[in-house]
Formats: sequence, structure tokens, C-alpha cells
Amino acid sequence: MASSIALESPHSQPLPLFKRTFALLPGIVLLAAVGYAGKFIERSIAAYGKSHHLTLPNIEYVLWAIVLGLVIANTIGIPEVFRPGLATYEFWLKAGIVLLGARFLLGDVLKLGGVSLVLVAIEILVSLTFMTFLGRAFGLKPKLTTLLAVGSSICGVSAIIATQGAIDADEEDSSFAIAAILTLGAISLFTFPLIGHWLHLSDTAYGLWAGLGIDNTAEVTAAGALYSDAAAKVAVLAKTTRNAMIGFVVLGYALYWARKEGTNRAGSKAAFLWEKFPKFVLGFLLISALATAAVFSKPQLTSLGNLSRWAFLLTFAGVGLRTNVREMWKQGARPFLVGAVGEIVIAFLTLGLVYGAGRYLQ
Amino acid sequence: MTNQPETSAGEEKTNGFKITLDAWAVALALVLALLIRIGLIKQVPW
Repeated sequence: MASSIALESPHSQPLPLFKRTFALLPGIVLLAAVGYAGKFIERSIAAYGKSHHLTLPNIEYVLWAIVLGLVIANTIGIPEVFRPGLATYEFWLKAGIVLLGARFLLGDVLKLGGVSLVLVAIEILVSLTFMTFLGRAFGLKPKLTTLLAVGSSICGVSAIIATQGAIDADEEDSSFAIAAILTLGAISLFTFPLIGHWLHLSDTAYGLWAGLGIDNTAEVTAAGALYSDAAAKVAVLAKTTRNAMIGFVVLGYALYWARKEGTNRAGSKAAFLWEKFPKFVLGFLLISALATAAVFSKPQLTSLGNLSRWAFLLTFAGVGLRTNVREMWKQGARPFLVGAVGEIVIAFLTLGLVYGAGRYLQ
Repeated sequence: MTNQPETSAGEEKTNGFKITLDAWAVALALVLALLIRIGLIKQVPW
């Protein structure tokens, strides 16, 4: 479920805590610099348009941060000293999502939850089945197929990392599955808002579609934020519901592969499920419950919401900075083709689901 | 487009007690929420 931010010495002895923390700083500073540059560009363009009475497209900091990071990573490159800190981008993502709970009153969560849960269940079942079929049809390795199926049906990088550990998949398989999911997520970032505007989707419908159709939480949040603030909230909510299923699906695959390979993954199923369950979902619900119970004043809720924006600013910079376009092309086309075909079909399927559920949406 | 996967589980073992990345993220968020609630952090601008 998580990226490691722990460092080890060349002799595999864990470094002292303060050294590990210190080693994270350069990368975190780079995340902040790139993210803030994205915010600065957004503000500068808006200010230029206002002062010159021009109507310029409002490109959010989200996209600028990702593009800036991507350009830096794939031209100048990322020196080794920055890498440990860059790996914290998933930490900021999760902390940001927990803080985002302040912007969701539990009543809203429950209201959307019923519809979302049904759609999420359908999306997961169909995605797993379809991706497994595609992987077999294209002759991919079974474990790579499993990783692609889990990554595209649940929660992208997190699910792939969790599943890799659970089924003992090869590093190369998870690396490619992550590459495919992130590439397609980056493409979704541009295409989903365009299609949403073209179809005149409401904020709720678009947010739900983004939350169901895009796989990695960072890209879901970004695609939602590119459409509107309200759409971002719904997108994160739908995605959070998907994320909550990760434990069950990973457990299912772990048991399947354990039985198939004759290995015995000892321990109780409940303990395994808990280990794989994304804990930040509970944090999100807790903050949301506190906000619903009026524990925070309105200015305090605004402050919490702003904190989540700062955390996301680091996250989106990290998504761009950790993207290596050249590595992707070395991997070959077949797995990417499976991912692409699967993602396009799933995107249309989820769009159909959202249309079908339209009358039940706000 | 590769996100170099981190192969270890993002967990830190201290005397047999595992602290996951998720737990750290939740802990940080809750501490910040507490500081805002008790007024130590007055306002977070954006």
C-alpha cells in the first residue's frame, strides 16, 4: 500500500532516524519548489490576463506542477540525493486526503456512498474480469496480468505495490504495471476534463466518473481539480470508496496465488486484510466525522482544507518528477497495449455507469 | 513513464511494532488538525 521512505546504508544496516530524516530533505524541498512554481505560474497567468483584460484558460497549479516535474525529470534528470525525498509524494497524498475529510460532512459521504458503492462494486468486478481476459488474450505473464488487473480496477500504484508483496510478483512486472497505470493516468488527466466539458457533465457526474475511471489517486484528484473544486471532492470520495476495497481484492489474489503455488501464507485472513487495508481512509472518515460534529469552526475548516491543498501541491510535483518517459519505452508494447485497451474500455464503461446512475446523483 | 517502485513495504519496525506510511500520514494530519483546533495554528493561507 505504501511507498517506502526508509533508507538503508550500502551495508544494509538501517541508518539512524535523524540521518534518514535529513536524507529526505533535498527531495522534499524540490517537491515544494516545483509545486510552488506551478502555483506561481497559475497566479501569474491569471494576473496577466486580468491586467491585460484577456480571457486566458485557467490552467490549475496541479497541471503546471506535474508538467514542470515531468520536464525536469526527463531532461535534466533527478540526482540521487533528491530521490528519497521524492518518494514521500505518496505520504503527502495520503496526509492531504485525510485533511480533505474536513471538507466532507459525513452526511454527504453517506449520501453519495450508497450510489458510489454499487458503482464501485460493478467497476471492480468488470475491470478485474476484463483485464484478466485481455492479459490472457495477449499472452502476458499471469502475475503481470494480475498486477495490471488490480491496478486498473482499484487504486493504481498503491494496489500494485500491495499486490506485488502479496503474490510475490517480479519487480519488473510491478514496475511495468506501475508505468502503464501512470502513463494512462497522465493521459486521463488531459482527456477526462476535455470529454467532461464536451459532454457538459455536472460536477457530481464528472467527479464520479473520474473517481471510477482513473486509477491512481493523485491523478484522480488532479483530474477532478482541473474540472472544478466540487468535482474534485466527488472524485476523491468515489476514489476513496474504491481504495477501501483494496484489502479484499489483494487478499483474494494472495489466497489464489498462495493456493496455486502451494505456499502457505500463514496467519489469519482478518489480520492480512487489516494489514493491506488503506489506513488513511479511516483518517479521512475520522476528520470528516469531527467536521460533521462541528468540532471545528468554519475558519478552522478552511485552514484544514488549505493544508490539504499544500499537501497535494507536493504530491503533484512528485508525480511529475518521478515519471521516466524513456524507461517506459524500454518495456515493450504488449503490456502497455493491454493497459491502454483495458483503460479505454473501463473509461467508457464507467461513463456509462455514471450516465445510468444520473438520476440518483445530485 | 515509470514510477520507480519502492519494494519495501514502507514500514518501519521498532521493537516489533510496525508503523506504516499510512499511519504516519494519518498521524501528521491529526496532529495538524489538533493544532488548528486548539488555536496554535491560527490560519493557513492558500
